[in-house]
Amino acid sequence: MSYELNYTIGSIPLEKLKPKKVRKNIELTLWERLYIPEIVRGMIITTRHFVQNMAGFIFPPNGKKRRVFTVYYPEEKLTIPIAYRGRPVLVMREDGTERCVACGLCESICPAFAISIVGGERRRENEMERYPVTYTLDMSRCVYCGFCEEVCPKEAIAMSDEYEELAERDRNRMIYPKEKLLVSEKRLKNRIDYVRKIYSKNNYNAK
Amino acid sequence: MSDLKKTLPTEYMVLNMGPSHPVTHGTVKFLVTLDGETIVDFVVDIGYLHRGFEKMCENSTWEQVFPYTDRLNYVPPMINNVGYALAVEKLLGIDVPERNKYIRVIASELSRISDHLTNVAASGLELGAFTAFLYFVEARELVWDMLESLCGARLTSNYVRIGGLKNDLPEDFKDQTTAVFKRCRELWSDVDKLLTKNRIFIDRVRDVGIMPPDEAIAWGFTGPCLRASGVPYDVRKANPYLVYDRMDFEIPIGEKGDNFDRYLVRMEEIIQSMRIVEQALKEIPSGPINVDMPEYRWQSKDDIYNKIESLIFHFKTVTEGIKPPPGEVYFAVEGTNGELGFYLVSDGRGKPYKCRVRPPCFPLTAAMPRMIKGSLIADVVPTFDMINMIGGECDR
Repeated sequence: MSYELNYTIGSIPLEKLKPKKVRKNIELTLWERLYIPEIVRGMIITTRHFVQNMAGFIFPPNGKKRRVFTVYYPEEKLTIPIAYRGRPVLVMREDGTERCVACGLCESICPAFAISIVGGERRRENEMERYPVTYTLDMSRCVYCGFCEEVCPKEAIAMSDEYEELAERDRNRMIYPKEKLLVSEKRLKNRIDYVRKIYSKNNYNAK
Repeated sequence: MSDLKKTLPTEYMVLNMGPSHPVTHGTVKFLVTLDGETIVDFVVDIGYLHRGFEKMCENSTWEQVFPYTDRLNYVPPMINNVGYALAVEKLLGIDVPERNKYIRVIASELSRISDHLTNVAASGLELGAFTAFLYFVEARELVWDMLESLCGARLTSNYVRIGGLKNDLPEDFKDQTTAVFKRCRELWSDVDKLLTKNRIFIDRVRDVGIMPPDEAIAWGFTGPCLRASGVPYDVRKANPYLVYDRMDFEIPIGEKGDNFDRYLVRMEEIIQSMRIVEQALKEIPSGPINVDMPEYRWQSKDDIYNKIESLIFHFKTVTEGIKPPPGEVYFAVEGTNGELGFYLVSDGRGKPYKCRVRPPCFPLTAAMPRMIKGSLIADVVPTFDMINMIGGECDR
């Protein structure tokens, strides 16, 4: 038994809803019920995939090593897009100090409460500046949301492209101190440029 | 035969399926009472993935809710992001720029494709069709690569913001979409050939888990399961949000409301979603993606770096959160399993007073006993697959 189509939604006419019946030719024909031809038809599809994948090892398509989708990790690695959000790192200036001024914005926005900062002051080039005495990032809590990068007013924290060797057997070792988080400016240049680009003024509605 | 039944009485057997059964795609338990192989009673036990989403929201600012919404229905996280952002924007009474709306539509539809691909692939896998699973997982991988290049993560997207987006479309997105959809359509037609007329598959799914349309409405069904029963209800058409009213797409409907109809509806929706993405990419205007309202959307980095008053205001909005006017609002989007609604209450402070989610798969899961009673124990697998209950959304 099947049901007649007499349901409409509110006052919307059926022409606007554009319903499309998908159940058609449901009864199998005799040819299909014979079973063997259908198995052969299925085998043709899977064999086609098999042969194409095999041939893809000898004649790989452009820019790839083979036709099959598998990447032989860890010998090969994916090229990850610039938008990728990996392990958050602190940006280190060329003299080895951090850009962070311990304002605490990342600490307050972090939805997982992974960051804790103790701020202090020090003398650098005859000027007093604020700096984080300790900057602790609990990687067992971090959810890689990227809010810290988005709110930072000093470009001091960035989501790097590192995704490996983050697992540990001991949770205490996943609490990263400042020294483990610092990464030089040069290595993060692409990401910092990208952040500047995506939050630049021309992405905002001019009034 | 009746003599035999008297002399050989059978007892009901109670069987626990789950909470970590391969069929359950997460954690849910069924308490099945069996007479031989026939199901006489069926109790669904949910709540194994309860994380207190609604309570967590009350303790975080309006922006901080976005990473939590990623984890509701974790196969298409973008749709949850979009739904929550639209609900908050309705509460604030703001409108987002045109380009933003198109990008949100593209992101939602790509997520919908990935969810339906996963659902059909996993259902095929559990009914023994491993090849179909491999093909569709390749297609899903391609779609997820696109989402990754868009938002920076595959699963925990955190892409949409209140009154804006995290970033614009990548430059080569259109070419990438063309290439990916070409391959997806090839794989789709292969899976269609392997499954739709496959007698083993049809025998397992056809006439199983039937839900008549009137009862489906009474149970609160929405989404593909309701459309499989023959009711052309789709939030995108019935109550168009974003730019869905400008898109040309069809609502696939079934006739009978069994699992085979649900499978067919999902397969057709993959194609329709691809059409929507292609149209949206064709019509997308250039322009900004964020509103310039520092009280609602964090300001641009140019302003924060260069203007002291912007910096001070930035500190204020980030630490205190945005402050919507007191009031309550309900907004629903078409999730992959149905109407995904957000009911928000604001008391004028920086945190939601209440953030209630209407999960589309809760009514579907509740109707499992109605659909499965009287059929065989093996029918639990296709029925529950086609319900597509996601623990993260149902239990929250």
